[in-house]
Amino acid sequence: MIKNKIKEHIFYYFSLLSVVILGVFLTLQFPGNKQIQMMTIVITTFFYVGFGIVHHRENHNLSAKIVVEYMLIGALGMTIASFFLLGS
Amino acid sequence: MFLKFLHHFFLPHESNNHRPKVLHHTSLMFFIFVFLVGQIMMGSAKANFGDVLGAKIDVSVERLLQLTNDERQNKGLRSLLLNDKLSKAAFLKGTYMLQKNYWAHNAPDGTTPWVFIRQTKYDYVYAGENLARGFTNSSDVVKAWMESPTHRDNMLSTNYKDIGFSVLEGKLLGEDTTLVVEMFGSTEPMVLGSQPEKTIPSKEVLPQIALEKVINTPVFDISLVSRYVGIATLALFIFIFVIDLIIIERRKIVRLVGHNLDHITFLFMILLFIILFNRGSIL
Repeated sequence: MIKNKIKEHIFYYFSLLSVVILGVFLTLQFPGNKQIQMMTIVITTFFYVGFGIVHHRENHNLSAKIVVEYMLIGALGMTIASFFLLGS
Repeated sequence: MFLKFLHHFFLPHESNNHRPKVLHHTSLMFFIFVFLVGQIMMGSAKANFGDVLGAKIDVSVERLLQLTNDERQNKGLRSLLLNDKLSKAAFLKGTYMLQKNYWAHNAPDGTTPWVFIRQTKYDYVYAGENLARGFTNSSDVVKAWMESPTHRDNMLSTNYKDIGFSVLEGKLLGEDTTLVVEMFGSTEPMVLGSQPEKTIPSKEVLPQIALEKVINTPVFDISLVSRYVGIATLALFIFIFVIDLIIIERRKIVRLVGHNLDHITFLFMILLFIILFNRGSIL
């Protein structure tokens, strides 16, 4: 079933994976510069939230609950990253 | 009772509307709040109780010299001699970088590294410079330089006879950092085809000058604490999302929620960043 879902939305998952890999790659290109690293993470997070919302609007039932869910997961990822960067 | 609690928090079930309680909006907000408060507390602890909770740093000139000469000896090259003038030039360069707030070999005003060497009256024929910042120990600095072809060339060059170091702490580009300046030089041209001189163990070539070092040994290493807490939290959420995905797929339950695969991919990105993160930078 998961395989079918991935096949059905292969372009979406491929795009999301590409953005995420690019995000990690770009972040690691700036060792020692935490401000740029955090900025790269924030931009990648916005892409993830935006992609998720647009995908649900186009292909599924988009509700406020889903929008909030993506935003909260995005915020959680960003706060963990900034917590880590502050300590490093 | 405890198992019921775990079930409710970590597995989809009727009691949690078929979504683990940890993944509910209120729980996510709680975790975000905890990490935000954690950041404030960590910043305060770093500023006020650095000896208890701070970054563990151990970078010293003595160790940098030893490691550099070890690398040279491994290649059958003679050891470099620690030179007072080059060390002073390295100190002047490092201080200038912190004052002018730049991370480059040449300053924005065009000042080159050689200006600082000339200031110390070191009459060089050959000279070179390696820079590092943000590393927590000497071996990581030397390792990073050895992994970079241009820095490695400097470290293993037969043109140089002398070496000087400076290890400074300060704010560079808005971040508190440990800055390492390594300067190489020779006051006489090398004769082509000459054999390297007898290799002298680095301990014997240390001149009697005060060695600079930046050492901080807090009770808790804040970088390790933040790393492990971050990794553990992300791993927990990824694990819960995977388990939730598997169970819901098997039970064929329809819910109005986002795609777990999206969340797993995103959180995995943050996890990968923390695992692969390298705080040090060389130039």
